[in-house]
Amino acid sequence: MSSQNLQFKGYALTDPSKWHDLKIIEFKPKTFEPEDVEIAITYCGVCGSDVHTLTQGWGESKLPLVVGHEIVGTVTRVGDKVTEFKPGDRVGVGAQRGSCLRCRQCKEDYENYCTNGIDTYNAEYPDGVVAQGGYSTAIRAHERFVFPIPDEIESRHAASMMCAGLTVYSPLRTHGAGPGKKVGIMGIGGLGHYAILWAKAMGAEVYAFTHDKSKMEDIKKMGADHVIDTTRKSFHKDLTHTLDILLSTRDVFGDSTPLGDYLSMLYVHGRFVTVGLPDADDPLPSIHAFDLAPNGCMMGGSKIGSKKECLEMLELARSKGIKPWIEELPMREVGKALQDLKNNNVRYRYVVKQDIV
Amino acid sequence: MSSTNQLEFKGYAMTDPSAWSSLSVVPFEPKALGPEDVEVAVAYCGLCGSDVHMLNQSWGSTRQGPLIVGHEIVGRVTRVGEKVRDLKPGDRVGVGAAVGSCMQCRACNDNYENYCRQITFTINSQWPDGTPVQGGFSTGVRAHERFVFPIPDGVELRHAASMMCGGITVYAPLRENGCGPGKKVGVLGIGGLGHYAILFAKAMGAEVYAFTRGTAKAEDAKKMGADHVVDTTVDGFWKPYDMTLDIIISTVDHFPKNFSLRNLLSMLYVHGKFIVVGLPPADEPMPTLHAFDLTSNAGCFIGGSLLGSKDDMKHMLNLAAEKGVKPWIEELPMNRAKEALEGLKAGKPRYRYVLKQDIAPVD
Repeated sequence: MSSQNLQFKGYALTDPSKWHDLKIIEFKPKTFEPEDVEIAITYCGVCGSDVHTLTQGWGESKLPLVVGHEIVGTVTRVGDKVTEFKPGDRVGVGAQRGSCLRCRQCKEDYENYCTNGIDTYNAEYPDGVVAQGGYSTAIRAHERFVFPIPDEIESRHAASMMCAGLTVYSPLRTHGAGPGKKVGIMGIGGLGHYAILWAKAMGAEVYAFTHDKSKMEDIKKMGADHVIDTTRKSFHKDLTHTLDILLSTRDVFGDSTPLGDYLSMLYVHGRFVTVGLPDADDPLPSIHAFDLAPNGCMMGGSKIGSKKECLEMLELARSKGIKPWIEELPMREVGKALQDLKNNNVRYRYVVKQDIV
Repeated sequence: MSSTNQLEFKGYAMTDPSAWSSLSVVPFEPKALGPEDVEVAVAYCGLCGSDVHMLNQSWGSTRQGPLIVGHEIVGRVTRVGEKVRDLKPGDRVGVGAAVGSCMQCRACNDNYENYCRQITFTINSQWPDGTPVQGGFSTGVRAHERFVFPIPDGVELRHAASMMCGGITVYAPLRENGCGPGKKVGVLGIGGLGHYAILFAKAMGAEVYAFTRGTAKAEDAKKMGADHVVDTTVDGFWKPYDMTLDIIISTVDHFPKNFSLRNLLSMLYVHGKFIVVGLPPADEPMPTLHAFDLTSNAGCFIGGSLLGSKDDMKHMLNLAAEKGVKPWIEELPMNRAKEALEGLKAGKPRYRYVLKQDIAPVD
């Protein structure tokens, strides 16, 4: 594909009062630089972040705005300093597209924690160009944020690994999920289902927590060793001081189970890690310092993952033949996907196929 | 001291919660000495914030009957149960905030007995058979040998006392989280615990940042070894330290209303740890957090820590002996406990009160 013919068009938010009613716009792409990779998009996954951004739940967004950050496509063009890719390569881009590359974090393989990181959408480059996301025909991203997709992994499967997959892989890896470890996963949606698949593949014993009984059979098929119904009163009591890691994918807390109950399920120095990001007005349930003392546990967060982790994750998926549970739609129907996602009505990740060109 | 003299168990007890700091000497019945127990004649006992919280009911109602607090105990072994091998009468030992645990669970077997779900605390609790546990503002205590710690010769008893709770409470998380050369450690609140955190973090080779309200303690903090002293009353005090610290030990036992934990967390580097050891009153939860405060702030962690294991104690005391770590204490006779309790409540000690047992003094 000649990059001269590459158009940059995407399904955009133009009116926040109709947050899932996206209209095709043409947009200005990132200014092409020597370390950039240009990609013609074939698939894009639909992420909770897309919903939170479009509904303005995370704050006022830019307008017009093309979201989507679980991108897979084909390289059309590379800058002269790019060493890893060439036109024709099959690649992915996730929730981040740039960083400063000079700070301590960037140098220590923590580029996802760069203070000057550039999100894939709803961000702005230093020269003022707005970062538009993957519900579109094409994207340009810095080479560091472009990931080669192994041949054995289909594009439609790789797409949602770019954000959902990586976002749970990173903390599982960081906190040592593996043989002998007991890993709890709270919330079995897009992220949660990936956490089960990865944690099992990494050799851990998996405890899946859900309030949705209709998911329980699927959850067992995904490989969970135990499935816990969180609507059952005092479900946490049977598991006091048991888990090494408890990964929370919940993006709604509201008036719910005290966090202390969840923390009590952790063994000594166990870690509760939240990757789910609620709306700005939905804080974590309150804790008392006393909730942290009885098991010396830790409560933390994790944001996306590094390229290093992404490549490891893709290798794990390739070598174990791991496939996510997806529902596919043409990109023009992304509005349905978004609404279903907001209503927790997806089994377990929507992926939309680019249909503009 | 002859081990054949029967130890008479008496202590300074609270008998009326409405006069929480007024203690009077009462005799009490200790637990029966079991085969794995050690009896200690108390020489000194340090005063910990927990003693104040317990007595003034801010952690909930205390149990019925006379309550003797104090859990930073040092003294000499007087008797040991028949299965005790590693300690004998005359040994210099300490006892901290716990006196027993189940010895069977995963935690007890993993050298994490301080996290046993059936742990028996030294103050305001009872043994499994229902006998009330009485603390160290007394002539003697009995504890399971796992909770009795030999004091190396290089550490004076009056210095070792407050290491039994104040010291270990900060040493254990510093050790657990890799405090050492090349690490940057922040200490929030320079009181009893905070001053120990500076002393130990320096002894372990880290670079230390002391955070304190105002400047009154700045010079002391430097003398203790802090490399940097930061005044937390200054607006934006956290900004120069953005993503700098590996560990922050938080010893404050009170957060002002609308306090922003996020600003403190912003000082942590990737996966840095904010360890809360200061325990506020029961009706004071942690400041509100949003998930973003943890994910965006470098994937950092807020953690807790409870006391330390016998293994931690051994390492801490050896470090203290090796590097000559001496706490900054104010010594008082035990009959002035009221003054010490009220002084601690008002944040007065520089930096830990240690009470000398004066009912039946021990050298």
